[in-house]
Amino acid sequence: MSLLSKTPKPDSTEKWEAQLRKGCLDLAILASLWETRLYGLEILRVLEQNSRLVVAEGTVYPILSRLKEEGLLQSEWVEAEGGHPRKYYWLTAAGRLKIVSMAHFWNSFAANLNLLLEPVLNGKERS
Amino acid sequence: MNLSACEPVMDRYFALLDSQLSDLSEARRQDFLRELRAHVMDRLEQMTAPSEVDCRNVLKALGTPDEIARTYRMEMILRSSSWSLSPLAVLRTTLRWTVAGIQGYAVFVVALVGYLIAASFYICALLKVFFPKNVGFYISEAGPNLAQFPVQHGVEYLAPYFIPIAILVGYLSTFGTTLLIRFLMRHFSRLRKKI
Repeated sequence: MSLLSKTPKPDSTEKWEAQLRKGCLDLAILASLWETRLYGLEILRVLEQNSRLVVAEGTVYPILSRLKEEGLLQSEWVEAEGGHPRKYYWLTAAGRLKIVSMAHFWNSFAANLNLLLEPVLNGKERS
Repeated sequence: MNLSACEPVMDRYFALLDSQLSDLSEARRQDFLRELRAHVMDRLEQMTAPSEVDCRNVLKALGTPDEIARTYRMEMILRSSSWSLSPLAVLRTTLRWTVAGIQGYAVFVVALVGYLIAASFYICALLKVFFPKNVGFYISEAGPNLAQFPVQHGVEYLAPYFIPIAILVGYLSTFGTTLLIRFLMRHFSRLRKKI
């Protein structure tokens, strides 16, 4: 019981949040490419608009490299008029299949977890 | 756009990142750096006259070179050499694993010991040519032995076949270690994904 009653370290919630964000990045990056091809900064903007997923912007690029290595994404350098070239990414057929199955998993996972959290949230409101 | 205020800061940043990723292949490293540079340029182009401070802020939002290099390693660690049969590539990868905790360290030690055993057999095969009386497979009261100076004790076995057998055993040790490491890497990566 003494273990349970210990107060958590102040940074443990932050750490948990950081891990959760990191774990969702693959899902969010693949989802951002569902409709169109985008380059790195555009992907970041989509993520910034819809969530607070990214802590250090540069960490998105290694993930993009890995997703490409895994065959989920394809990329190409495109010369922009009057600007510098940008590396565009788009989903491969395998990437499309993957994000669909990830989205389904996420949906049922979140629904179940929300059910579990309902009494917790209600209890908080009561007190 | 005038980026003269930013260039020294950017050059320093990318030189540092370049050196942190020096173990990547040239093509992959250049492509990755080019992409990050494009990101920084895009961010700076949104500003009318970016100052040195603006540039520092853009780089700060990107993350430190160390942070980016570490993320890159963790993301690519399995891809880069899990299919390579070269002991050097495997050792390099497992050396990077040592930062990932005790499991990574154990894998590195296994790789190192395995390849050292393999190397000692190759060296014995080579030395047999120059020191035929000192190097070979000997069994004495003290147990089996491969080499002893100034003079070997015990009875020599397999004398005419020692060199091809030592080369074969060396090769099998190399190959076996690589297979074992590849297995461990995939096993641990599954563990990591589960966590």
